[in-house]
Amino acid sequence: MAIRSRRRVAAFAAALLAVSLSACTGEEPVSDDLSGNRVGAMTDYGVNAQFKATEALNFSILYNNHPNYPIKNEWLFWSELTKRTGVTLQPTAVPLSDYEQKRSLLIGAGDAPLIIPKTYPGSEAPFVASGSILPVSDYLDLMPNFKDKIAKWNLQPDVDQLRQLDGKFYLLPGIHENVWTDYSLGVRTDILAQLNLTAPKTWDEVYTMLKAMKAAYPNQYPMSDRWSKPTPGGALFNYMAGAFSTNGGWGYRNDYWDANAKKFVFTGATDGYKQMVTYLNKLVKEGLLDPESFTQDDDTAIQKLATGKSFVISANAQELVNKYRTTMAATLPNAKIVKIPQPTGPAGEVKAGSRLENGVMISKKARDSKNFVAMMQFIDWLYYSDAGQEFAKWGVPGTTYNKDASGKFTLAPDVDYVKLNPTGTKHLQKDFGFGNGVFAYGGTTQLLQSTFSAEELEYQKAMDAKKILPVPPPHPYEDAEAEQATLWETPLKDHVSQMTLKFILGQRDLSEWDAYVAELKAKNMDAYIELVNKAHDRFAKQRG
Amino acid sequence: MVTVEHKPAPAPALPAVRRRRRGLKVTRGYRVFQAVNAVVLTIVVIVTLYPFVNVVARSFSQEAYIRAGQVNLVPRGFNLSTYKLVMADDMFWANYRNTVFYTVVATAVAIVLTTCYAYVLSKKHLRGRSALVGIAVFTMFFSGGLIPNYILITSLGLKNSVWAIALPNAISVFNLLVMKAFFESMPVELEEAAAVDGLDTYRILWRIVLPLSKAMIATMVLFYAVAFWNSWFSAFLYMDQSDLFPVTVYLRNLIAGATGAGSVGAADADLQTAANIQAVTIVLTVVPILLVYPFVQRYFVSGVMLGAVKG
Repeated sequence: MAIRSRRRVAAFAAALLAVSLSACTGEEPVSDDLSGNRVGAMTDYGVNAQFKATEALNFSILYNNHPNYPIKNEWLFWSELTKRTGVTLQPTAVPLSDYEQKRSLLIGAGDAPLIIPKTYPGSEAPFVASGSILPVSDYLDLMPNFKDKIAKWNLQPDVDQLRQLDGKFYLLPGIHENVWTDYSLGVRTDILAQLNLTAPKTWDEVYTMLKAMKAAYPNQYPMSDRWSKPTPGGALFNYMAGAFSTNGGWGYRNDYWDANAKKFVFTGATDGYKQMVTYLNKLVKEGLLDPESFTQDDDTAIQKLATGKSFVISANAQELVNKYRTTMAATLPNAKIVKIPQPTGPAGEVKAGSRLENGVMISKKARDSKNFVAMMQFIDWLYYSDAGQEFAKWGVPGTTYNKDASGKFTLAPDVDYVKLNPTGTKHLQKDFGFGNGVFAYGGTTQLLQSTFSAEELEYQKAMDAKKILPVPPPHPYEDAEAEQATLWETPLKDHVSQMTLKFILGQRDLSEWDAYVAELKAKNMDAYIELVNKAHDRFAKQRG
Repeated sequence: MVTVEHKPAPAPALPAVRRRRRGLKVTRGYRVFQAVNAVVLTIVVIVTLYPFVNVVARSFSQEAYIRAGQVNLVPRGFNLSTYKLVMADDMFWANYRNTVFYTVVATAVAIVLTTCYAYVLSKKHLRGRSALVGIAVFTMFFSGGLIPNYILITSLGLKNSVWAIALPNAISVFNLLVMKAFFESMPVELEEAAAVDGLDTYRILWRIVLPLSKAMIATMVLFYAVAFWNSWFSAFLYMDQSDLFPVTVYLRNLIAGATGAGSVGAADADLQTAANIQAVTIVLTVVPILLVYPFVQRYFVSGVMLGAVKG
């Protein structure tokens, strides 16, 4: 089985390569005259207008089928969508487990539906060279709501990061009004109370807290962490990096934008990164952080928490409620755990993160459809207008939810969603198709937080008080540069991640930091950063 | 002559064998061997059975105990509600029906085609025989690749039908070679006699060869049926609607989908599927094919071994 699937992967890679090579031979640029593509489109479509196709239209869409709310034809979502917009969606249902693979296959075989949602920023890149994806940045004039929100929420720098070699972008990202942070430390508050401690606000206080826990329970590690597969420390490094003016974990990129010097520096060699590593090394050295944190799987870490072998673990809102609490309710009935606002560090009261979400790719062949303009307007309405976003998330007023004058959302009495209305007999996602990850994401902070619990709202309020770090500027490469950068990037990244763990776990002494930086230099760190800065300068000049 | 000479021999031979067996039994080395054998095989049995028993135990347990890692061989917080929940899901049963349907059709097609191909290949006088074997063996090492296969199936109009699953996988080369070796080991005289009596090739296959190959056929049915029951990949590739999926795709989505790294950080609520729902679905999916084994087992060993010597 393993051999067979490896063979499949190899064959698949070869096929993709073949497709992208053949597509490189140059295609006729499509004409930008849209006069033949306006069938069904509205002439007076604009911001906050209700999109309604002038005739009944059908669009094919790739559908990411979630096991918790499997697709149903009788969902109110489909019928109400058709009623409001005149558009009927024809979904190709793909299991969530293998969505990416089937998406690659369909695009590679030229058989992809017109609308391809659930694509995370960056994962559209492999398809760009094949020429089968529409450069959506050329057609933003058809999408007034998208443009409006980009301008209103000052998202241009974020969107610029999506630009490919040709200066265009190929993904319509999901967009958030504000940076949404979800991951942080989960802490046992009953232990805090027992030891007369308050919840830590800074990473130094986290250290003090763990120290006190260790003093009271000397035979165990007070913190044992998870989310280390496949990226060790994926969540932890990611959310603590902002406090140390660097990046790490899931969000690790080799290039870090030094806002003061106005240039890129190599992340793994910055002082901030060293501080973060030194701090974590201290925790491990003093027995405060379980060394297995970076190798164990999630279930093992949760088991340690649930059996009282550890008191602190990385958390997000869902995991806190669905897993930690429900598990501990059975094993440690007196335990209480909360998610504390992300502790701050040398960087001060800041929060880092992207405001871009997964989004939509469009098949290039859609451009030739006589309904192309109508389709873009439809996508703009459903994914980017306030009305469309509210519809996708909450459904139909009076049937699935109610909204009072102050803009507060409440579920209909018989409908449940994220346990907000546990007595409801019907489920917003399972029975109506709303709150569906394929259609509902991003939007205003008010809409995002409309489904949060009181506790989570408090967390968000604390986080919203922090300053948002600016996103790094884009530095799209030219062809030859991209090839060169790829050759350098992976060995550099691998070395950083290996050495990060060795330093933290004490397998390599921190006095060897300079030697480590020299090793990075031997792996072309300087040349790489020079390349990044060159690409950035060129792009900055082009854009004025 | 020969038979006459042998006639008196059996009487003294029998006690001799028995005595030798008794002698073997008391050997120390043999006892040690037996003990070691028993221990090793018991360990193998435990190692093989433990994960299965564990899944069964999980399926009857409460979620919290599974998460806390406290469920091993015996269910904790016994409940049947998860079974009721999973069994109440229409999609689960729709996909289950698909699995049964696909398995039956695909196995039937596979058996017919494999038998015909193997029988032909077993005939030494067939011209171009080595080329035909070569064609089959070639596919063991090379394939057209995912996208060309997909385009082929799509342009043949097989997508979203049972044929997309049954036809491309109809002949497993391994099974073909096993069967070919089996047919080759059949006495040629048998078929020659049938031919002399006036049967043509097809009736020789139908009336003489196949009735003598029941053990082999049963084994092949088992091989193919298990493979088709467990397979998910072709259905995943060629089926576009969830009500056409076999239950394996349903199961995979439930397990891999809910734990995959791709979903990390996604805004979906209730992303993780409960561990006991996974366990229940696994049990319900595995049980039927497991139940087939005891019925086919008596053919199984002899069937696999039949072709072995010559193969």
